[in-house]
Amino acid sequence: MLTANLVWGTALLYIALLFLVAYYGDQRQKEGRSITANPLVYSLSITVYATSWTYYGSVGKAATTGIDFLPIYLGPTLTAFSWWFFLKKIVRISKENNITSIADFISSRYGSSQVLGALITVITLTGIMPYIALQLRAVSTSFTIITGTRDFGLPLPESLATISPHPGLFSAIVLSLFSAIFGAKHLGAAERHEGMVAAIALESVVKLVAFLTVGIIITYVFFDGVGDIFYRLKEHSPADLARLSTLGSGNENSYLSWFSLLTLSMSAVMLLPRQFQVMVLENADERHLNSAAWAFPAYMFLMNIFVMPIAAAGMLMTGTNAGADYFVLTLPLKAGHHWLALLAFLGGFSASAGMVMVESVAVSTMFLNHVLMPVVVRLKPRSWFSFLLLNLKRVGIILVIFLGYLYQSIVGESYMLANMGLISFSAAIQFAPALIGGLYWPRGNKAGAIGGLALGFAVWCYTMLFPSIIHAGHWHSDILTYGPFGIELLKPQALFGLKLDPWSHTLFWSMFFNISAYLHLSIIFHQGEKEKEQVEKFVHVFEPADGTPQWETKRLSKPVTIVQFVNLMSKFIGEGPAYAAISDYLGDREIDGKGGVSEFELPNLKRFVEKTLAGSLGGAAAGAVVESFLSDIGSRMESVYDIFSTVRTSRDQSREALFVRLRASEIMSRSQELDIIMQDLLTLLLREFKLDLAVIRLLNDRGMLEVRCFKGEGGDAITGEDRQVEIDTHVGEAFLGRRTEFFNDTTYITKPIAKEIFNREGIKSFAHIPIASEGAPPVGILSVFSRSIVGLFTEQFVELLESLAGQLAQAVGIVREREAREQERRQKEAAQLENARVTRDLELAKQIQLSLLPERPPEVLGISIACRCTPATHVGGDYYDFFQRTEDQVDTVMADVSGHSVGAALIMVETRSVLRTQMQATRAPREVLRVLNELLYHDLTRAELFITMFCGKYDGTTHTFSYANAGHTRPLLYREGKWEELDAEGLILGVEMDVLFEQKEVSLAPGDLLFIYTDGIIEAEGKNGELFGVERLTATLTRLLDREPEGIVEEVMAEVTAYTSPAPLQDDISMVVVKVTDGKEPSNPPRPREKGQKPGTPSPPH
Amino acid sequence: MRKRFREGVAKRLRLKDTWVVWFVLGMVMMNYPFLSIFNRPVLPFGLPLLYLYLLTGWFVSICTVYLFSRAARKENEKRDRH
Repeated sequence: MLTANLVWGTALLYIALLFLVAYYGDQRQKEGRSITANPLVYSLSITVYATSWTYYGSVGKAATTGIDFLPIYLGPTLTAFSWWFFLKKIVRISKENNITSIADFISSRYGSSQVLGALITVITLTGIMPYIALQLRAVSTSFTIITGTRDFGLPLPESLATISPHPGLFSAIVLSLFSAIFGAKHLGAAERHEGMVAAIALESVVKLVAFLTVGIIITYVFFDGVGDIFYRLKEHSPADLARLSTLGSGNENSYLSWFSLLTLSMSAVMLLPRQFQVMVLENADERHLNSAAWAFPAYMFLMNIFVMPIAAAGMLMTGTNAGADYFVLTLPLKAGHHWLALLAFLGGFSASAGMVMVESVAVSTMFLNHVLMPVVVRLKPRSWFSFLLLNLKRVGIILVIFLGYLYQSIVGESYMLANMGLISFSAAIQFAPALIGGLYWPRGNKAGAIGGLALGFAVWCYTMLFPSIIHAGHWHSDILTYGPFGIELLKPQALFGLKLDPWSHTLFWSMFFNISAYLHLSIIFHQGEKEKEQVEKFVHVFEPADGTPQWETKRLSKPVTIVQFVNLMSKFIGEGPAYAAISDYLGDREIDGKGGVSEFELPNLKRFVEKTLAGSLGGAAAGAVVESFLSDIGSRMESVYDIFSTVRTSRDQSREALFVRLRASEIMSRSQELDIIMQDLLTLLLREFKLDLAVIRLLNDRGMLEVRCFKGEGGDAITGEDRQVEIDTHVGEAFLGRRTEFFNDTTYITKPIAKEIFNREGIKSFAHIPIASEGAPPVGILSVFSRSIVGLFTEQFVELLESLAGQLAQAVGIVREREAREQERRQKEAAQLENARVTRDLELAKQIQLSLLPERPPEVLGISIACRCTPATHVGGDYYDFFQRTEDQVDTVMADVSGHSVGAALIMVETRSVLRTQMQATRAPREVLRVLNELLYHDLTRAELFITMFCGKYDGTTHTFSYANAGHTRPLLYREGKWEELDAEGLILGVEMDVLFEQKEVSLAPGDLLFIYTDGIIEAEGKNGELFGVERLTATLTRLLDREPEGIVEEVMAEVTAYTSPAPLQDDISMVVVKVTDGKEPSNPPRPREKGQKPGTPSPPH
Repeated sequence: MRKRFREGVAKRLRLKDTWVVWFVLGMVMMNYPFLSIFNRPVLPFGLPLLYLYLLTGWFVSICTVYLFSRAARKENEKRDRH
């Protein structure tokens, strides 16, 4: 015997070591440098499967019923073959859905059912009691054995000792404290508990090392190896050896019980809450499953290799199999190896502590999420909720352990360790149909799962739990022997007369009812909406998305902002994690101006919030929290209107959508008339979808969105007026924002004008789609309205409408382009016509103007005159005239109105009229100019024109020529063998009102030549830019002195034209040649003046 | 030749079907009537026959799963590289 204090102290030191390791693990997790995220630790943590049952109970079972202790470990080895696809699927689903426990897993699959979650929790709580009791009893009994004292040797007052007759109490207290501290460090149950896992891994190493050490020493120190033990047993008691090493010797040791144990263990290794916790929730990487699949069976192999030898050795050493459960402890003690016994005790303590810790954490998570949470979520969320929940979880851990203690108190020592454990295994396998069916059978539904579990659980209670309590003898009843009310058929351990070993019996009947109910109810009842969604996530988790978008089939009736969701999450998981989660989710998603995500994104966001909360509260509670939050703000999740009947079944575009697209293309290509296209398109929309009104607005020249076409009933307020392109209206917003504006429920509309209109019109939902080609600015808006359907605009529908609007934009573009070309062509034609008319008019004006000039020069005695006017353009401003007073007296005038415009021509005509009137009276030249200036001044000023004018008077009687000049080009006079310019002071007409003109007089002799001209001649520009000039003119004239005046005119004209050639004349050219003759007869024969002679074409000489 | 054989084996081992086949095979071999063949009270090599059979079968299973997991790990590494 060891002293209690030594054992006590060693155990405390060991616990302190576990604390340190767990603390270190947690610290490393916080730093992000995990020590547990590797295959080795993962595999070791799964070996939490090996508990006191394995450590002590296996030897006990091996010594009593023999080899059938093995199926409990062979089963898990077989399941390891399925891990790579089965466990991997569970792990994947759990990670994607933030699963917190096996109850959460199963209830999530069946539509996050709270009832199912609660049922599984109750089953687990009840089912796990014997298992925990087993651990508590193992710890306390082993302590008692090793120290020989009870209750950890604490000096308790007698009174207390009588209150707690069962030694398990202190083990329960120690283990629950340890678990509460490590198992509930944070609320996020879906997160990994690295500290706990690290401690578990260490414990796993300790229990293996301890057991192997004990096994080796017993086998090779106490005996001469395994063979020696068996030979000795054969000699000592061949019957015992035969019983232990073969099957079929008794009812509890048959092929059938072998099969049942194998099956139970296969399911238990996956379905026990603590196994689910370490294998699924604490898994850091799916690839670790690979290593665990062989490392875990290998560990079990090593753990069991000495079980049989120890059992045989124990029987040899003690001569009996009584107390075989603790051979691991008692044999070293018996042999006097106290240190070895202490090591064995530590190993056993490790095995128990690890199991209790993980199991209680897993079960309390379930308890919190599925039993307490449904109550909590009915309360209004408060900021201290996360604190409350964490402490509730701690309370849950303690509760779970004390339930185990309670069971242990009742059942006491009546069961062997292994058999207590098997009671729990039989409970755990009840989850198998719902779980496996849920993973692989899409039809499995909530009704089936609840029905199956409830029935299976009831059978288990009746055939397994209930007898175990009666067996303990606390409740005296003969129900086990005679059945309830004497009905033998209902005997708990031989239901309907079936007599099997207890494990096979319970397994058969519970599975029979469980599976039958699951299958039948699943087939009879339908799956709910939420369930169908979950089936997709569970059954098809590995099926890769095929690239085509899955259309959203849900919408939120009232939009919820991101901030609202974050506030909700903060209340349950704290502010920091809530913000971290949401920013992780948003990533690069688009957020609109109101702080929300797009309407189509909202259901996803809601699901994300649910999932995040599920990580702490469990799926069912999280769903309830979000639902109640939504209903508080007046929103809820509802199905989108199924506008395409195939929206639910088809992942791709529905046939209807394709049909509409096709029809729209036909419409576009069939007609060139925009109005017809628009009419047809709107008719198509109204006919195919449940719309009440559709309007097309196009941007017009005034920048207004003009209603071009509409179809449907009513809507005068909508179609009646054009809309400005302003942000105040939804139409304007869609146009300016270049994106579809839609409201699925006009109740929540915010723009006052729109709200008023829609109220009046009874519009429930609407969409404004910009009519725009890819990348181009919109040309208008396609608007559709519904009076009956809320939630009409699904992502798919909006996409279709956008594509139709895109097609329409192209049609509009084509039509507009064609119209523009047409107009341009017409304008060009009109311009040409106009041009021709003007040209003709000008030609006419030219004819008229030329006809206003004297037809031919007058015949005056003593002089011969020739004159010519060649306008540069159609009309000109040059003018000359003759007024014959007597047969040898003539007045001549040469004028040049500035410019060559029609205006100049008109002024010239006016000048002519005025001049003609004024010339009625005989006036001196200066007088003529003065009067003309006076009369024309106002008109000239108004027209901003002016006139240069030369006025001369030839008097044949005196042979004098008197003249005055109003700024006109000075005429040239050839007299006495040389050229002179006739100059007289005078201002241009139309500059000032009162002008005095100088008048001069020269006498002329025969042979003299007077050349009066306009500046068109001397300013004619040659090829090199040089002007024709006076000198060149005089030279020309000099050459022509002996020619007749008419010939001079021709020659000068020809000279000037040749000079400017090939360019046409820039200015009008007019000239009057007066040659003084000596005879009385006019020397120049009258000759009709050439009319319409083209400028620049010289007349033929004659 | 040997390399081809090994690759072929690794490829088969990666198949889910192979896992299922071995799982079923294990179930059959660790149940009646297979067990009855070895269910005799004899001690070859000093160990009870049934015990020896089960331990051997267990060990073989572990080795097989190890091979499976190696094949799967190689597959993973290959996929990660691509």
